Amino acid sequence: MAEFLFYALSIAAVLFGIGVISAKQPLMCVLSLLGSFVCLGVIYLLAQFQFMAAAQILVYAGAIMVLFLFVVMLLDLGNVEELKENSMRILGKKRITVAVVVAGGLALTSLLGTRDSMASAGPEPVVVRPDAYDPVAEIATLLFTRYLLAFEAAGLLLVASMVAVMVLAKRQREPLSDQR
Amino acid sequence: MTVTLVTLLKILVIYGGLINVAALMTLAERKVSAWMQFRIGPNRVGPWGVLQPLADGVKFIFKEEFTPEGANKFLFRIAPMLSAVPAMLTVAVLPLAGDIAIPKLGTFDLPFFGPTELGGITTNLSITDLDISVLFVLAVSGLSIYGIILGGWASNSKYSLLGALRASAQMISYELTLMLSLLSIVVMTGSLDLREIATSQATIGQWHIWTQPLAFILFVVATFAETNRHPFDFAECEPELVGGFHTEYSSMKFALFFMGEYCAMAVMSGLTVTFFLGGFGVPFWPDAPWFVELPAFLAKTAFFLFLFIWVRWTLPRFRFDQLMGLSWKWLLNLALFNLFLTGLASALGWF
Repeated sequence: MAEFLFYALSIAAVLFGIGVISAKQPLMCVLSLLGSFVCLGVIYLLAQFQFMAAAQILVYAGAIMVLFLFVVMLLDLGNVEELKENSMRILGKKRITVAVVVAGGLALTSLLGTRDSMASAGPEPVVVRPDAYDPVAEIATLLFTRYLLAFEAAGLLLVASMVAVMVLAKRQREPLSDQR
Repeated sequence: MTVTLVTLLKILVIYGGLINVAALMTLAERKVSAWMQFRIGPNRVGPWGVLQPLADGVKFIFKEEFTPEGANKFLFRIAPMLSAVPAMLTVAVLPLAGDIAIPKLGTFDLPFFGPTELGGITTNLSITDLDISVLFVLAVSGLSIYGIILGGWASNSKYSLLGALRASAQMISYELTLMLSLLSIVVMTGSLDLREIATSQATIGQWHIWTQPLAFILFVVATFAETNRHPFDFAECEPELVGGFHTEYSSMKFALFFMGEYCAMAVMSGLTVTFFLGGFGVPFWPDAPWFVELPAFLAKTAFFLFLFIWVRWTLPRFRFDQLMGLSWKWLLNLALFNLFLTGLASALGWF
């Protein structure tokens, strides 16, 4: 039952994630992200990380996403197609191709690297849960040994997307500076 | 097998009860307001008008469902659900009574399962026991804001949008006070489990209303704002905003918003009782059986539900800037101060 729930929720989380980057309306992107967060929260709950699940829902779904929703609702983002064309013009086809190649390479390396490190580390360690079992410490250990490459790649992607958002937002403000 | 059956039964009974409480609250609201204004109130459908909610429900189902032009159909449809579901979810962790011992009932030959032994377990009257039920309640009730924002936005109407914006600004502000006032209770009991918090107030002298009077007042004020009730009902605010975020809603969708609001009131009253009035504990009878504890809990909750109605028909409405000023300039600081004092007392080992 728990396994079935895990797979169903994971698939739902990934589908919501695809929704975030493919939805036409900005509002639907925000809601997809919310759905993804809720799915992740329930997965934490299934893994017995009750506190993390509560923090996930409380902080991300309850507070941060409300802020996002406000920003999206109050800024007039009516014409998304225009924005899209604008960003395409700023970036240019060449740069987008480079970005896609780099991101794809990054994803592939992290995938292969994780597989290699998993192969060299042998089978999944059997977790013995003593009385003073600390799930957070265990996650941290796994993140910095077994899944190091994937973890670092995700961090790099986050930084890259942040820079990209800044570049796009900065460039778009220029035509607004002369009074319409 | 028994555990599954008992859990199913608890879910049915508790959710059925909650929905009935919400329905009866609509009647109580009209009856009490009528008494306060020297009127009679609904008295035609059934004795004392008790079947009025049923008649209203039938009316809601048969009314025309109207979707305004230019509305976002999908969001317009799911907003009432998003508002009602979180309010109902939180009741799952409310401890309604202590342990119930179910005697051995013998072996039954069930279809599909074969001979099964039933009974012989001890359970308690809440759907699930989480170690962090306080956080669960806060997290899930924080989600109910989405129904209001999305409902107001998707309606494509200025009144709805303004109502939704006001409601969400208000709920975010008062959520802080709500959580901070609860934190002092958590510091005192050292537990995030509602059942443990309830059982830690065994005698009437240990009720947190005596040890944390400031937190009690702050919490009750914040619940009024969280549930969008008078004198803080700026989400609706008839003279200014027609009906606020649900201006454009009709039929059963409108009823769902209402049910969500009343369920949230019931749950918030239950939480107030659990945190400050000893939960299901019966005064002067420490080891009461569950069938005495449950009515005790319900009676205490009923008082707070009555308080909601009482205040609504007594006090005038605030102005919106006064409401935000009250939250940020007074309540939040008082809650922080109270938490500081509680932390200090805890560090000095006074309790």
